[in-house]
Amino acid sequence: MRKRTRIHAWLGALALAGGLLVSLAIASGVGCSTEIPPGQSGSVTKVPEPGDVIDQDLMIGLAQAKNFHHKAKVYMSDGNLAAATASVRQILSLHFPAGAPEAEDVRLDARALLAKLLVSQGQLEEAMRTVTEGLAQASRESFFVANLHTVQGEIHEARAAQLEEAKDPARAAEEKRAAIAAYDRSIRINEELQKRLMGGK
Amino acid sequence: MATDDEDTSPPPRFGDERFDLLGGPVPDPDAEPTAAERAHARTFAELVDKTMAGRTPPAMSADDRALLEVATVIRAASGGLPLAAGKRRELVEDVLRQAVGVGAGGAGANLSGGVTPIARGRARRWAPWLIAGASTLVAAAAIAMLWLRPLPRPVPVAEAVPARWTSRATDPLIGPIPRDRAGDAGARIDYIFADRLDGYRERRFGPGASGSRGGKP
Repeated sequence: MRKRTRIHAWLGALALAGGLLVSLAIASGVGCSTEIPPGQSGSVTKVPEPGDVIDQDLMIGLAQAKNFHHKAKVYMSDGNLAAATASVRQILSLHFPAGAPEAEDVRLDARALLAKLLVSQGQLEEAMRTVTEGLAQASRESFFVANLHTVQGEIHEARAAQLEEAKDPARAAEEKRAAIAAYDRSIRINEELQKRLMGGK
Repeated sequence: MATDDEDTSPPPRFGDERFDLLGGPVPDPDAEPTAAERAHARTFAELVDKTMAGRTPPAMSADDRALLEVATVIRAASGGLPLAAGKRRELVEDVLRQAVGVGAGGAGANLSGGVTPIARGRARRWAPWLIAGASTLVAAAAIAMLWLRPLPRPVPVAEAVPARWTSRATDPLIGPIPRDRAGDAGARIDYIFADRLDGYRERRFGPGASGSRGGKP
């Protein structure tokens, strides 16, 4: 009788342990099936995140920038540089999707035009500030950064011309050297980018 | 009648004629104990106390030894002398062995005759449940780990989306900007907008695009 009771106890315990092991194996299988093998995506039907692809927000931002440029062009054709400057300045405050590379390019290009407009109005310090801010905000080297360095060189040239008129040849020479340095930076960036683009093909 | 106070005789000694209590005549049950009897009782009581305390005198009379053995047996039989746990277990197992007919042989008998010692029997009774409990704990911990561990986040695949559909730098599109075109941002934005609009339309309305309605925009 006691022997039978003991056998029943063993059988019960073994059944319990066996059941748990089976459930553990099932849980392991489920866990393994949810793992994503390296180099494979979670889902090939996954909808791309906003910002990864060209979306409506980006297109709206670009369209607005385009319109402000056109508006500025019309103002410039009428000789209304102040209004053209204001129009271009509005491009800097346009909303773009976060992290969109096009946004940085468009803003840098707008700053280049804005600085040229300011130079043409004799506002050299404001023009230099516009360029310096743009260079500080740039997250990568691009043809637009190189262009901004070019505009910076032009501002230095304009300053040098003003100083020469003011009979300050020493500072004028400094400005000219700064202009050359800015052009050199522009050339270097352009060369490096072109090499990179050619190498990437 | 003699009393303790009147008894001035010296205490009995070994070999004394008065001391032969076992061999002498049996006194009357109603008779008062003599001084010698009282003295002997006191001496024997001390002897018993010493023996119980483990300080048995090395030498004593044969009568005293016989009485002492009887006293020890009486004390053990009355339950006043507890047995050691091991000894008690041995005795119980010996009795049980005799009861099931395996064969007696005292406490030192061979136990390999099919009778399990009490302690080992208890361990055997609990062993399956201990194993099952341990297995349960291990399995529960493993399942909890599987459930609670953070799943790797699916990584979006760039290959799933054509490059022309993605938001990207416009350097390859624009190329180096000549100095005489530095302020020609209006023309460049037109170009950028047109290129991105192509990608956007293809993604939204192209044949393989998600959300395509099957027609051209």
